[in-house]
Amino acid sequence: MTWKAEADEIAARRAFAHGLGGAEAVDKHHAQGRLSVRERIAGLCDPSSFQEVGTLTGKGAYVEGKLAKVTPAPYVMGLAKIDGRPVAVGGEDFTVRGGTSWGSDRRKGGQGGFVEDLAHEYRIPLVNLIDGAGGTVTSALRRGYTVFPGVHGFERSVELMSEVPVVCAVMGTAAGGPAGRAILAHWSVMVKGTSQVFAAGPPVVERSLGQKIDKEALGGAAVAVDMAGTIDNAAESESGCFAMIRRYLSYMPQNVWELPPVVGTDDDPDRREEALLSIVPRERRQPYNMRKLVSLVADRDSLFEIQPTFGRALITTLARMNGKVVGIIANNPMVNGGAMDVKAARKQTHFITLCDTFHIPIVFLVDVPGFMVGLQAEQAATLREGMRSVYTALQATVPMLTVVIRKCYGMAGMAATDKNGLDFKIAWPSAEWGSLPVEGGAAAAFRREIESAADPKQRLAEIEAELRALASPFLTAEAFAVEEVIDPRETRAYLCRFIDAMQGRLATSVGIKRRAGVPP
Amino acid sequence: MAKKEIRSEITGSVWKILKRAGDPVEEEDSLMILESMKMEIPVLAEAKGKVAEIRVQENDPVAEGAVLAVLEV
Repeated sequence: MTWKAEADEIAARRAFAHGLGGAEAVDKHHAQGRLSVRERIAGLCDPSSFQEVGTLTGKGAYVEGKLAKVTPAPYVMGLAKIDGRPVAVGGEDFTVRGGTSWGSDRRKGGQGGFVEDLAHEYRIPLVNLIDGAGGTVTSALRRGYTVFPGVHGFERSVELMSEVPVVCAVMGTAAGGPAGRAILAHWSVMVKGTSQVFAAGPPVVERSLGQKIDKEALGGAAVAVDMAGTIDNAAESESGCFAMIRRYLSYMPQNVWELPPVVGTDDDPDRREEALLSIVPRERRQPYNMRKLVSLVADRDSLFEIQPTFGRALITTLARMNGKVVGIIANNPMVNGGAMDVKAARKQTHFITLCDTFHIPIVFLVDVPGFMVGLQAEQAATLREGMRSVYTALQATVPMLTVVIRKCYGMAGMAATDKNGLDFKIAWPSAEWGSLPVEGGAAAAFRREIESAADPKQRLAEIEAELRALASPFLTAEAFAVEEVIDPRETRAYLCRFIDAMQGRLATSVGIKRRAGVPP
Repeated sequence: MAKKEIRSEITGSVWKILKRAGDPVEEEDSLMILESMKMEIPVLAEAKGKVAEIRVQENDPVAEGAVLAVLEV
């Protein structure tokens, strides 16, 4: 007398689950260049680490009381490991009903559901592999009534944003709820060519606005990542996407009550790069390669850029210094001369909040002439978005270190300092700062004097020369109004010492970051 | 020979044109220099080849994404 028959039934039911939406649907899905949800989980997670939860969920069909078939629920999820650390992982199964929601007592995931509860209760990261079109009007036919928006709400999804790392990967065409879910993440990624994301897809757009547009033009990576910054990064392929998710999580703690993992490195913290001595041109109108500068300062091969193609006047990258995770925010003089436009401001605000939430110290490499100016910039509300970035920086409690590479002007410059902390500012000899640059600033402040001069042009040049003579960083260093001027080759060593020293402080300030007030 | 369009990554104006149609170029050679936010931004050849066309003149305003030159690569 054993339970062998039932054990066999469990195996049979699991086989239905592994069959997904049937061979034909899976083939069709593959033909579109997409993996199945089970292949995705296997590709993302450590080998054999996936422990599924809810394998048997689905709709059973019975013939004379005997099980004939189970159509699996269109969502696969459970516990797995990434680089040896536990994660909650789940994704829609597009081969069953297009991954659309399915009526059950308890949701498995997607919006709330078991997988999100698991991440919350066990304080482990959540990875959503999104491939669903959201609600379908056919559910009204099944239920006999229409559901109120938010019946499966985002309460848990929002709560997770202050607790554990949340990664959302858009793996197919995401519209409606799944598209919204993708945004509620600390980091999001999509796959070029095979994934799209929008509030509503082409049929709804055409019906609402008469706009005929295909889904790639409406919500492919060129729009959603490069132009809009709706999604943070784009991957070249599904397997490339999994590698990026693993890499991103390697910089993250398991939850906000821990610090990010420290990795061993053979990169000498005292490494001096000769190239740093000449990377900034003496001619101040000439830009230089800030990405290269960042890579020379941080641990070798440790950069992971967030939003590399959006808001390109600013570079935001996770990195390591002597094995410790840092967030580096660097202005990019190749775009807008590094001026903070509305996109760069949004990017900086998000990145500061991300680092502050996970206790990742911030290093600013500053070369910012100010907020972007001009009609387009004002129409885009650069001032408001820029001040939001200032507000966010002032509320952040994670330590920040500022290295002024060249220009540091105005409110955008202030946004790059630790005003509520140590207010520690290191400058390169090429640094210059002030409330606004001498050009333009001098013309405005001394207008009457210039206009009444015999030779206004010459007078302006004289005033500018006089002001510029006072702009030497050494004079400010004499007054201890900047804490240090360093040889650029010393940057890495200088930063590494302070980042090492702040680790104890970081360990004493873990937990949920509370943020008060109304950001502008 | 494939044609490759070189687009402006920024909004600004054309300050100096350094290459003419027919000039051979190496990868990373400067084709022209734009001026934007008081900075001189070089426009680089994305590949080795020959300049087929320069689409702008000095002092022209250029918008982000505008085609500045065409290379034969």
